[in-house]
Amino acid sequence: MIRFIAQRILWTFVVLLFLSLITFGLMHAVPGGPFDREKTLPPETIKVLNEKYHLDDPLWKQYVDYLVGVLVPRVNDNPPTSLTDSYLINIPLWGDTEFHWMNFGPSYRSRSRTVNDIIREQLPISFQLGVLSIIMSLIIGMPLGVIAALKQNTVWDYLGMSVAIFGVSVPVIAMGPVLVWIFGVALKWLPPAGWGSKPPYLMFFVPRQLGWDYWRYTILPVFALGVSHAAIIARLTRASLLQVIREDYIRTARSKGLTERIVVTRHALRNALIPVITVLGPMFAAIVTGTFVAEQIFGIPGLGKYFITSITNRDYPVIMGTTLLYGMMLLLANLMVDISYAWLDPRIRYD
Amino acid sequence: MIKKLSVILSIVLLASMLLTACGPTATQAPAAPVKETIIVGGTPEVVYVTVPPEEPPPPVDTGEGKTLRVSFGYGDVPTLDPSLSTDTSSVQVVDELTVGVTRLDEVTLELKPGMAKDWDISADGTVYTLYLEENIPWVRWNGTEVEEVLDCDGNVRYVTAEDFVYGIKRTCDPRTASDYAYVLGFALAGCNDLLAGDSESEEFQALIDGVGAKAIDDYTLELTFLTPAAYNLNIAGMWIARAEPSWIIEGDDCTEARGDRWTEPGFNQAYGPYVLKEWIHDSTLTIVKNPFWPGIDSAPQAKIDTIVFSMLDTPVAFAEYEAGNLDVSGIPQADIDRVKADPVLSAELYQGFSGCTYYYGFNTSRPPVDNVHLRRAFSHAVDRQALIDNVLKAGQLPAQWFCRPGMVACPTPDNNPDVGIKTDMAAAQAELELALADMGLASVDELPEIVLMYNTSEGHKNIAEAIQQMWVDTLGIKVSLTNQEWAVYLKTVKSADAPHIWRMGWCLDYPDANNWLKEVMSVGGSSNSDENADGVPDGGLIWLNETYEQLVNDGAVEQDPDKRLDMYIQAENILVYEDAAIIPLYFYTSLSVSKPYLDRTYSMHGHDAYEKWDIIK
Repeated sequence: MIRFIAQRILWTFVVLLFLSLITFGLMHAVPGGPFDREKTLPPETIKVLNEKYHLDDPLWKQYVDYLVGVLVPRVNDNPPTSLTDSYLINIPLWGDTEFHWMNFGPSYRSRSRTVNDIIREQLPISFQLGVLSIIMSLIIGMPLGVIAALKQNTVWDYLGMSVAIFGVSVPVIAMGPVLVWIFGVALKWLPPAGWGSKPPYLMFFVPRQLGWDYWRYTILPVFALGVSHAAIIARLTRASLLQVIREDYIRTARSKGLTERIVVTRHALRNALIPVITVLGPMFAAIVTGTFVAEQIFGIPGLGKYFITSITNRDYPVIMGTTLLYGMMLLLANLMVDISYAWLDPRIRYD
Repeated sequence: MIKKLSVILSIVLLASMLLTACGPTATQAPAAPVKETIIVGGTPEVVYVTVPPEEPPPPVDTGEGKTLRVSFGYGDVPTLDPSLSTDTSSVQVVDELTVGVTRLDEVTLELKPGMAKDWDISADGTVYTLYLEENIPWVRWNGTEVEEVLDCDGNVRYVTAEDFVYGIKRTCDPRTASDYAYVLGFALAGCNDLLAGDSESEEFQALIDGVGAKAIDDYTLELTFLTPAAYNLNIAGMWIARAEPSWIIEGDDCTEARGDRWTEPGFNQAYGPYVLKEWIHDSTLTIVKNPFWPGIDSAPQAKIDTIVFSMLDTPVAFAEYEAGNLDVSGIPQADIDRVKADPVLSAELYQGFSGCTYYYGFNTSRPPVDNVHLRRAFSHAVDRQALIDNVLKAGQLPAQWFCRPGMVACPTPDNNPDVGIKTDMAAAQAELELALADMGLASVDELPEIVLMYNTSEGHKNIAEAIQQMWVDTLGIKVSLTNQEWAVYLKTVKSADAPHIWRMGWCLDYPDANNWLKEVMSVGGSSNSDENADGVPDGGLIWLNETYEQLVNDGAVEQDPDKRLDMYIQAENILVYEDAAIIPLYFYTSLSVSKPYLDRTYSMHGHDAYEKWDIIK
């Protein structure tokens, strides 16, 4: 198992390298640059900007410099004044010296922040929203799916699946404003927009205060995001549980005299969860790095917006940074999913 | 039976969600007349008394002073460094934290003294000696309150002419890589040379010294301009020429250099009506009143203690406004009709000035629109008022020329009603006949395909489709519509391969006709590009008219306002009528709603003067 994990982590680096190469090539192939303005900048200004950000270097050199910045760690005691000399991971060692790693570069659009700052400050918020949404969708979706499967073709089944279809069909862009209107504007019970925590965070993403002032901002967006994903989980749980319930070993367990609850939770559910976990991996990676639409509707300062705006702005370091981040999350999530297979189904073994 | 029941249940669930969204809000219950009996002069009389709807409770005064809550558009403020600011949100905050040598009055667009209380102009009009206000301290937020910044000897640092010289030279320095420095380069001597200089070379220091900004003494600043232009002080008052604190950027004996990070909260230093308190990126930016700002005529002491800027998309900001969490908001396009119909919101609605023009440009070198009669036909055939009434719906003004009325030396509809080009269907058809005759064609069917391009957006698409239909109805010509993503679109339009007709807008940098007629439309301007600087246009309009060039060049240095206006009127006539290089469509307006307890001014130049606002509770 350890060898398996080590091998996969090595593969992660290789895949991310390919990802970075393809993204770099594509983003430079698209016409337009980061300094295109309606009022064309004079050539001297463009030359100066290109020099500052090393965009006049040959493409291969830009790529190699970027990789070196991201991969090579540094140990120094430079004060954090320059925007080009900032890193994502800073671990204080002794005195003023720190261990620095992962410099994703500056942002061309914002002249006061680097990609590292953006990731450090906005990713935790997307992470919080994502984790809460996943928990919400599991809390809603799994019981719904289980009940629907156990009581197949009864009113509970049809009700459950109708709610599921509703959740899948009504996207956040429709449900969000409706929820905001009802609870935020008409009833004024919950705030229509905003988020309740601000940097710095504990343990990278945990907010410092967790009172009502924090939770009241999370209720509407988590519900809106959670319901649509809950639907997918519900349908998947129902379908796979239906299949497992028909198996012989379930009939054996029942005939042994076990209670229905033990039969379902201990025997049926564990095997039924494999398709659900498979889907949960990429879903987790996608939600946790930020959803553009939900964050815009609820005014949540997450990372989702940067995935889209960086491309319109041709902000190359942000494009690379967000893509690599998403890739890393996805690969890690898939690794977790594969490891959990071994726990769920003893027949699956890695060696 | 059960199946049907659950289907009905789900429909009811869905319907209840939708219907609650469509109903009126709880806070706007209409006033109901109530029957009461009163005694008038001894006789009972039955009257109907209208009970006013319950007023929403006034904002609670938490004892922390007055707080104004506003929203920028979606997205973080890019920077608070005056030398690097280009975005309206950056300029807005910079204009509250610092004050320029001159300051534009936001309502009248009059140029007023700012940090320079008075100035002398030399005989040839290029050297300005400015006398600065004295004893205005640099301040910062120290975590609990606003305090004055002290130098290494413990004395208060005051804003001096040297700080302005530092700021101006920093903007012109190529190592700062300022996007906007070239505007300063248009006017100030030596700035362009420094921008083009090589920081490694030996002559670099000489270039820095050669910039036309000098501190004669602590409170006397001497600025040398390239030409005796009327707008010199306008440009000198812009955010790119502000005093900057060199000690915190470069460091000195007792201050650690903060470099690029000097604008972050904790390090930021200001001297204007407000000071930066907190900046949570992508979320909120908070500024607090600077008690050490003495107040000048054009920038009085602030009355509102705290301003919190959110960064929300317009529909979200409007929802926050309706929930009572914002004091000012723009209105999303889809809500305009509802706001105008609502009694409470329509009273809070204001239709204000916005310094922008929307137009279609022609690639005048590309057949068949290289024929001036065809271009004029297209321009006459657009029913601008119908477009505004049916598609735009925000009370925009139809445009007969390019430069937005309200700019200095720009014609206005009241004083110059016959300048430019008007919607005129008969004239359109007559011009079309002349065009066909010129090209030797029998009918419009023989015209080659004409392409109208716009950058991808729902709004532009609606306008383009409406105008396409107008042209079909009046001229019988159906143009093809295409769209491209913004960055790609800009490249296409500014290339030699620009489409026949392309959409563009222009908003003022500074309120003078020169910024419009010269910097946009003349050869080398942003819509008539000249890549190799040889005087022959090669992108955008690809249009050269010697008389036009002469007029706008002369207008730039003309001192007599009447002669200047006349020159620009002639230029406009050439631009939109004689050569019909563009189709001016409409002048923007800005719709906003403000809470009734806000005592505010409405700005004409793109950002607000919050130091003049007040909250009356």
